[in-house]
Amino acid sequence: MSVPVSQMWTVASYVLRQKLKRRARYPLVLMLEPLFRCNLACAGCGKIQYPAQILRKDLTVEQCLKAVEECGAPMVSIPGGEPLMYPDIGRLVRELVARKKYVYLCTNAILLKEKLGEGLFTPSKYLSFSVHLDGLREEHDDAVCREGVYDTAVEAIREALRRGFRVTTNTTLFDGASPMRMQMFFDEMMDLGVEGMMLSPGYSYSKAPDQEHFLRRQKTHELFRKMLERPKRRWKFNQSPLFLQFLMGKQDFECTPWGNPTYNVFGWQRPCYLLQEGYAATFEELLATTKWERYGRASGNEKCQDCMVHCGHEPSAVNHTFTSLRGFRDTVAATLTGKL
Amino acid sequence: MPSEPGASEDGSLLEGWEPVVGAATSLEDVIDRAFDYRGDVTVVHRDGTELTGYLFNRDAEVREPFVQMFDRAGDGPITIPYAEIRTIRFTGKDTAAGKSYEAWLRRKSERLPAAAASDSARGA
Repeated sequence: MSVPVSQMWTVASYVLRQKLKRRARYPLVLMLEPLFRCNLACAGCGKIQYPAQILRKDLTVEQCLKAVEECGAPMVSIPGGEPLMYPDIGRLVRELVARKKYVYLCTNAILLKEKLGEGLFTPSKYLSFSVHLDGLREEHDDAVCREGVYDTAVEAIREALRRGFRVTTNTTLFDGASPMRMQMFFDEMMDLGVEGMMLSPGYSYSKAPDQEHFLRRQKTHELFRKMLERPKRRWKFNQSPLFLQFLMGKQDFECTPWGNPTYNVFGWQRPCYLLQEGYAATFEELLATTKWERYGRASGNEKCQDCMVHCGHEPSAVNHTFTSLRGFRDTVAATLTGKL
Repeated sequence: MPSEPGASEDGSLLEGWEPVVGAATSLEDVIDRAFDYRGDVTVVHRDGTELTGYLFNRDAEVREPFVQMFDRAGDGPITIPYAEIRTIRFTGKDTAAGKSYEAWLRRKSERLPAAAASDSARGA
């Protein structure tokens, strides 16, 4: 694991506080989507297909900060859309860092070098650029449906690292991914000097153009086993090792759909980052009125049967670490030995 | 004007649909489809007035079921009770239709030299 100790401590103490308060449902990461506009139209993304007046809409910084306060999660992930197209992204990040929130700015990095040059951001242990890369050059440019994006992103990563920023990568894996090519990708990212990598299987959005290339559960296990059965010590993953073991079929977790709640121009999204079954006006309303028993694999909901995505299952893995001796032992063992 | 949904040229099943709410098509079903639709719709009120915009929310399980919309200027949210809706017409372009992965591969292969296109298709 490559998560800094201060961040691990913040998350651990937060989770323990929730346990002491006996909160049955608590958020871990707020998924804050200040806009839906994007400068890419990736085949696997179901987030950007909206009429023009919706794509033009932005949350205000004040709306974002209110959502952060309501939710209370120690980490804030800013996806979108492309967050670097959000006009107030510099101010939003500054405000979040001032509140000591660990911010993951999830970007395709097309605009990153330009924004760094404008001095929009200041290096901080609270800020990490989480650069979207779905594999090596050929695989990534295929996934984002545009040539040259991989090279642009790599150049931006170098620039961010040179300026002293924390940089991680986030990778969505689709059917047909080659374990060997992914291992080469891990090597390449470590050579670049990124702090850690985040992996997740894709989810078959009903609105995504590409419906045929998402991983099913068994295939997910096979792919992740092949990729990670003998992980190199130098590969650093910026996520729970138990979640990676879950993807390999070595752990079994139910979904925690409230773990990474999503706030965007429509409000608080029910029930999770991936499914859109309605919106609540407040976080409290989201928690209190969503029919949570209808979601997750055990519910029988067919939309959840093959989902193994990080936003629902990584919170389950983190919860397992802090609620069972076995979970704690497995996490410590994987962290110390580097074995999954 | 179609009273049953059917595929338009670019693959949308609902674009242009003008349902007549009655025994065969319930208002709840029309609202659910409008909620799932990624284009503008026109809500026809019981008094004959209309509102066009993007319907982003609906809740059928509260005491007074409602939908929520942003109008075409992006103003809102505007809340409309189910009880005030006569029907919904699917008047806007379905922004999720006609953008298949296969179409992108086709466009890409047209742009690239034949050899490069062949490699890409094998990798997809």
